[in-house]
Amino acid sequence: MSLVARNVLVALGITIALVATVAYAINYLNGQRLAELAAIEDQLSIDTLSLDTEFSLLETAPCSENTEGIGLTRELSDLGDRLSYTENQLGNGNAQVIRLKQQYSLLEIRDYLITKKLAEACGTKPVTVLYFYSNTGNCPDCDKAGYALSYLRDTYPMLRVYSFDYNLKLGALQTLIDVTKVKPELPAFVINGITSYGFTTLADLEKKFPKGALASTTPPATKNL
Amino acid sequence: MSPELLAYPFLFVAIFFESFVLVTFLSRPARAARARGPALFSDPALPFVAIIVPCLNEGETVAATTESLLALQYPKEKLEILLVDNGSTDETPEVMARYAGNPRVHILREEKRGKHHAVNAGIAATHAEFVGCLDADSFVEPDALLEVIPSLLDAKVGATTAAMSVHQPKNLLQHMQNAEYIFGITLRHVLSSINGIYVTPGPFSIYRRSVVVALGGFREGHKTEDLEMALRLQKNGYWIENAPRARVYTKAPLTIGELLKQRTRWTTGFMRNVSNEYRGLVGNHRYGALGTIVLPLGFIAIGSGMLIFCLALFMFVRNVVSAFTLRSGIPLAYAWLPHGATFDWFYLPSSMYILLGAATIIGSLTLITVGKRLSRTGGSLSRGLLTYLFLYGLIAPLWLMRATADVTLGKKRAWR
Repeated sequence: MSLVARNVLVALGITIALVATVAYAINYLNGQRLAELAAIEDQLSIDTLSLDTEFSLLETAPCSENTEGIGLTRELSDLGDRLSYTENQLGNGNAQVIRLKQQYSLLEIRDYLITKKLAEACGTKPVTVLYFYSNTGNCPDCDKAGYALSYLRDTYPMLRVYSFDYNLKLGALQTLIDVTKVKPELPAFVINGITSYGFTTLADLEKKFPKGALASTTPPATKNL
Repeated sequence: MSPELLAYPFLFVAIFFESFVLVTFLSRPARAARARGPALFSDPALPFVAIIVPCLNEGETVAATTESLLALQYPKEKLEILLVDNGSTDETPEVMARYAGNPRVHILREEKRGKHHAVNAGIAATHAEFVGCLDADSFVEPDALLEVIPSLLDAKVGATTAAMSVHQPKNLLQHMQNAEYIFGITLRHVLSSINGIYVTPGPFSIYRRSVVVALGGFREGHKTEDLEMALRLQKNGYWIENAPRARVYTKAPLTIGELLKQRTRWTTGFMRNVSNEYRGLVGNHRYGALGTIVLPLGFIAIGSGMLIFCLALFMFVRNVVSAFTLRSGIPLAYAWLPHGATFDWFYLPSSMYILLGAATIIGSLTLITVGKRLSRTGGSLSRGLLTYLFLYGLIAPLWLMRATADVTLGKKRAWR
């Protein structure tokens, strides 16, 4: 074998090894990401149980001073960001991503219900937004709507934004869609029980909020996925 | 399909080529070439050498070029300098005339008929065993000729090339070219070890005179007479060697316009010569690494340079448009200023495109660093590496596209 032929083979071997290493590294990183998401998921399972317990306790004394702190934590918001990033990396068809999204959506629904019940019992008027989106390519304005809601949520921390993938197969989510009568015309918003469709500008979206709802205060933020 | 996928084959080829260069660098012939020391000044067997300096309006630099040749460490009686005026209209003839009294310098005057005519006139005027060319905007280190001679001793060697870098780079563009030239030092050293060199550049390439004469002298070669001569040497079975420590410095274009013009000429010269007169070399096993690897990859490099640039431009524009669309109507302070950004490995970019691209860039920077150490070229390379990293990929596709358009449309451009 000539020197050139030998070197070509060696170089080819190095190239294949390098590409394989890169592919393995990417796969490994994605695996680590999923593992981290799974760890957060475990923590959230505990949070869910805690939330359920807390809710049951509060049913007997719904307007105690502890109600100030109820609601999903920063971890849920962080999970939302991480899930969104991982979904972009692995695609929206990845089984583990779908499972985590289902878990995330359940927690959101749970938090939404608690918030609603507490508001009724205590006479508070939180502003809640149920935001329905799709990432299967049939909602060109969903990215813009999601970004605008992120801005509103970060600017007005009292705002509780719950994001749902309209196409996610999850019984509880389907029931929520049925109950709120949201049609598959996305993006869709249910702002304090009033449903609207489509997104044009931030200013138009702000008009859909009750007067005085968008006022700066402190409390916690929920993250939309 | 993601547009990124289009780039994968080219990234694969780029990594393959860099790996091939590194493997060949470590192979025995290249190691032997590196171990070769310079010739001894006192060696009575040193051959008679003539250096031809073709000049066309090089009044500003020809004196310094000549002085650098006169300073070469080589027996005076064995070195002849031929200054060939190629019909200059500036002060070149007057500057040349200053050396009329020097017994080692001969001055020839030619009509303006092209650089190849000027070089041929010089070859016809000497009986030296070896003839070298030195563009009148280039300068040699004193030991350059002694470094070159050992690589020429084998009779099958038709020519040898030197180690070029940019003379006193002044602006970012010249620093970028300096890094690129030093990359070329590694490349030529490696390719010479497998006889894969396809161009004998104007700055200080040395030829066996009898071979050049037998092959009919220099030709116009689509305005790249050095490339054409190298391909002709290869076609006729001669080796082209390299002396990686024979340092020569050349003036590089100072502006993008000048650079585009020069590189368009080089690239069209490559494409026209290889796809016409020397088409038979491409893919031909008889011509070893040159035919099977270097020339085909030359075309792939031109194609991939344009494609990856267009792809990157497309993705950049798409992302910018998408970012602006997403943020339209959102207050600027929120939309464009970072908020709550902290490092988190979770968000490390990890696509094949980015990582393979990074591997290619690391490979290039490694080969540049190797070239600097190999040739013992002085000066700092940090600005060169940075500008090469950030500018080259933006500028090179411009001349590749221009050259491709010229070749496709049959357009000819003036030398300068």
